[in-house]
Amino acid sequence: MEIDIQEIEQFVDLAEKFSQKSILPMFEGEFSDGNLELLPGIYDTAFDIGFASSPDMSLAGSEYGIWGSEIDSSGILSSILTLLKISEVCGGVAMGLNSQGVATNLMLQAKKELPFATAKVALCFQEGFSLPWCGTILSPNEDLPARISTSARSAENGYIINGSKSFVYSMGDVDAYVLLARVEDKWGCFIIPSDDDGLTGKDVGQRTGMRACRVNHLEFNDVFVPEDARIDDGDAMSFAIRAMCLNWIGITAIAAGIAKGAVASARTYIADRYQGGGQIEDHPAIKRLVADSEARAYAAKAAVLSLKDIDLSFAKNSLARDLKLCAMAKLTGLDLCAMAVTDCLQTFGGYGYMEDFGMEKRLRDVTTLKSAFGAPNYLRQLIFDLGKEI
Amino acid sequence: MESETIERIEQLKPKNAVRNLDALGRLFMDNREMSIWERDTSTLPKGARKWRKNALEFARKEIRPIAAKADLNPDDFDTKPLRNAAIRRGLLSLLLPFPLGKASITSSVKSLSLQVVLAAEELTTECGGLALVLLAPYLGIAPLLLSGHLPTYLRHFIPFCFKLTWFDNPACFSYAITEPGAGSDVEETIGGATARLVTTARPVKGGYVLNGRKCFISNGAIADKVTVYAKLEGEGIESWTCFIVEKSMKGFSVGRHERKMGQRASDASELIFEDVFVPNRNIVGKLRSGWANNRNVLNYSRPSVGAMSIGHGRGAFERALEFCRRTKLGNKRLIDYHDVQMELADMMISLSAARAMVWKSCMQFRCNQGSSAAVKVFASDTAVKVSNQAMELMGDHGYVHANGVERSWRDARLTQIYEGTNQINRLALIESQWDVELDRSVLGYG
Ligand SMILES: Cc1cc2nc3c(=O)[nH]c(=O)nc-3n(C[C@H](O)[C@H](O)[C@H](O)COP(=O)(O)OP(=O)(O)OC[C@H]3O[C@@H](n4cnc5c(N)ncnc54)[C@H](O)[C@@H]3O)c2cc1C
Repeated sequence: MEIDIQEIEQFVDLAEKFSQKSILPMFEGEFSDGNLELLPGIYDTAFDIGFASSPDMSLAGSEYGIWGSEIDSSGILSSILTLLKISEVCGGVAMGLNSQGVATNLMLQAKKELPFATAKVALCFQEGFSLPWCGTILSPNEDLPARISTSARSAENGYIINGSKSFVYSMGDVDAYVLLARVEDKWGCFIIPSDDDGLTGKDVGQRTGMRACRVNHLEFNDVFVPEDARIDDGDAMSFAIRAMCLNWIGITAIAAGIAKGAVASARTYIADRYQGGGQIEDHPAIKRLVADSEARAYAAKAAVLSLKDIDLSFAKNSLARDLKLCAMAKLTGLDLCAMAVTDCLQTFGGYGYMEDFGMEKRLRDVTTLKSAFGAPNYLRQLIFDLGKEI
Repeated sequence: MESETIERIEQLKPKNAVRNLDALGRLFMDNREMSIWERDTSTLPKGARKWRKNALEFARKEIRPIAAKADLNPDDFDTKPLRNAAIRRGLLSLLLPFPLGKASITSSVKSLSLQVVLAAEELTTECGGLALVLLAPYLGIAPLLLSGHLPTYLRHFIPFCFKLTWFDNPACFSYAITEPGAGSDVEETIGGATARLVTTARPVKGGYVLNGRKCFISNGAIADKVTVYAKLEGEGIESWTCFIVEKSMKGFSVGRHERKMGQRASDASELIFEDVFVPNRNIVGKLRSGWANNRNVLNYSRPSVGAMSIGHGRGAFERALEFCRRTKLGNKRLIDYHDVQMELADMMISLSAARAMVWKSCMQFRCNQGSSAAVKVFASDTAVKVSNQAMELMGDHGYVHANGVERSWRDARLTQIYEGTNQINRLALIESQWDVELDRSVLGYG
């Protein structure tokens, strides 16, 4: 079934209402990143309304939520626009929903019943210093430059997993992890309940931004996974590609939303602030900052929207191209958005640096995203290598 | 790589190939194995060199161990012990030479600001917030020095310097020009003319009564004395006069402490003046000399902000470098990858360029508006750029507080805003060169 544009618009309207009604109250009072204690309630509402996708088919979002099962038939526009809208108010909440969505989407690829029920999930992919580079994506056992060290070894009726994963983003209180690990020289995708004895998690500690999400490092010590908790058909490379593409599209959409929110706040502030004999919006110095920001925020949005028709089958012949397109969107989109947000902050003068106006939060959030799940140097190398692959 | 190739590469390295030159040719080649820090320091006058080294040692020993904690929990952090240690080390007495300070006399006669600037970079490299705690008092005291007013010197400046240099724990000064309705306007000429100022001084017998508010004042909450600029009742900014307001004065209070993105170890506070009586002896310089005095203070403080900016960038660079040295990707360290080296080189070039500009702006005895403004813009933009690069180099590890790089980035962002936003500093540069070379051609055309 196709979702038509009107349905998407309705969904985006709903996202706006959700942002205003459920997320905005988080910023009442003296909280730089919002009152994070309200987050569980906000995420619960997101599940109720259906923005938060979930592998639990009884929940509304499993189909139409962000990166829900519907994207395979109806495309990803609705997910992109929803993330854009929510991140105008809070990039962190949008990132929580994005992380939940990506992990859910991988689980929904499983063509079989899972041995246990889950609602909140998170993807464990990155390990050591960064995501795998091109050569290692193709062969996880190759030091190109660093092999995947988290591995699953066959055991009776299942697998034993050892290794560690870093920077696992989630909404918090995760029920199960979606793990991409090496099985001999191939990828495998496993679902692991978060209360498994062999699994230990550690919060990464204080971070620059995106504090509305939880970020953990995880250790897997002889974790037993039953056969039916492996959800790929013998090679999960397409799961890995899917995880990267959806994450990069999602992160770029979130950054574009943050930038859009920053531009809107700047526009309001400069119309009000008197300095230099008039409203500061009359000074060319300010006009330049805002115009550049608006153009950059728009370009980032255009970059991410250009991916709306991406082929999610990740067929072998187009896989490298699709991955490269997503990587390019993240590389340039995030750079543009970070520039836009910092310039918007500048229009607030000293007030932009203070927590009360929300601009410094936007800058911390977008800067965090720039390095999250594929920093610029990594993306540059990958884009170049994928170009050769094509 | 084959061992033969490795051997050839070794021979081709300039430090080895130099042997093939004649003795005189070898002399022309500077092959000394020195860090950039050592090389830069060696170009400084001797006395200044000493202070750069002292500040580096102090920063590593006293600031480094407490930097992360001071940033995370600024409200519970007492900065007094650090300030006292810096005073004992002479790092807050670098404006003047013996007997009023500890600056080197040979360097001081060449430049009033160089030694402060050198210390500023070193202190900031370890922690922007704690560095601001130590450096903001220089800004607070600058109006006294730059007033050129003998009574101010005799009553306030000389006793202060003497106490600072030879006894512990003198008053901590802050500098207060910014008001809620006038930030850029108190840093720029045209804005000044139309500024909506609220802080006013009303003449009374024996002095003035101050009413009004200042905001964002660095060290405002811990200062014992504040150099406060106020317009005289019924007049405009041209009547601006600088007053020394003491913490103990009735009617003076500290309002809101701002919660800010970075440089968190230093407070930025609101100061409230409610019928504060300030005696005539606490007027800095002449009545109505405040505007000119303020503008000149900014000329001297902006190179220091430039130096602090380099410190932010350098701190990010140094900690990212350390990360690249200890982190492996596959079987190589990050630092062994060429793309990482490209990025590091770019950061080193940017920092060197900014440092050259800051030092050049202090190569004369006096600072001037144009070059100080230019330095402030370039160095602060460089700091943000370099600290961004440092974060990105480290991937996800860059935004983790414990790695100390994101702190420098948050700190650096402020340098594009205070001491005049970078937009206002551009206007200051244009203003300073307008009559001389921009409005009329001095290029020999036509
Ligand atoms: C942490 C912190 C510490 C500080 N410490 C001190 C201190 O110790 N003492 C002190 O007195 N002040 C201090 N300040 C104040 C600081 O110098 C001002 O914040 C700064 O000058 C900008 O003023 P503003 O914040 O009012 O911004 P505004 O003046 O409101 O500026 C807003 C925007 O308008 C632009 N703008 C304004 N006027 C013009 C114009 N005429 N032409 C073009 N563009 C214009 C600015 O560039 C900026 O982008 C501090 C500020 C901060 C944030």
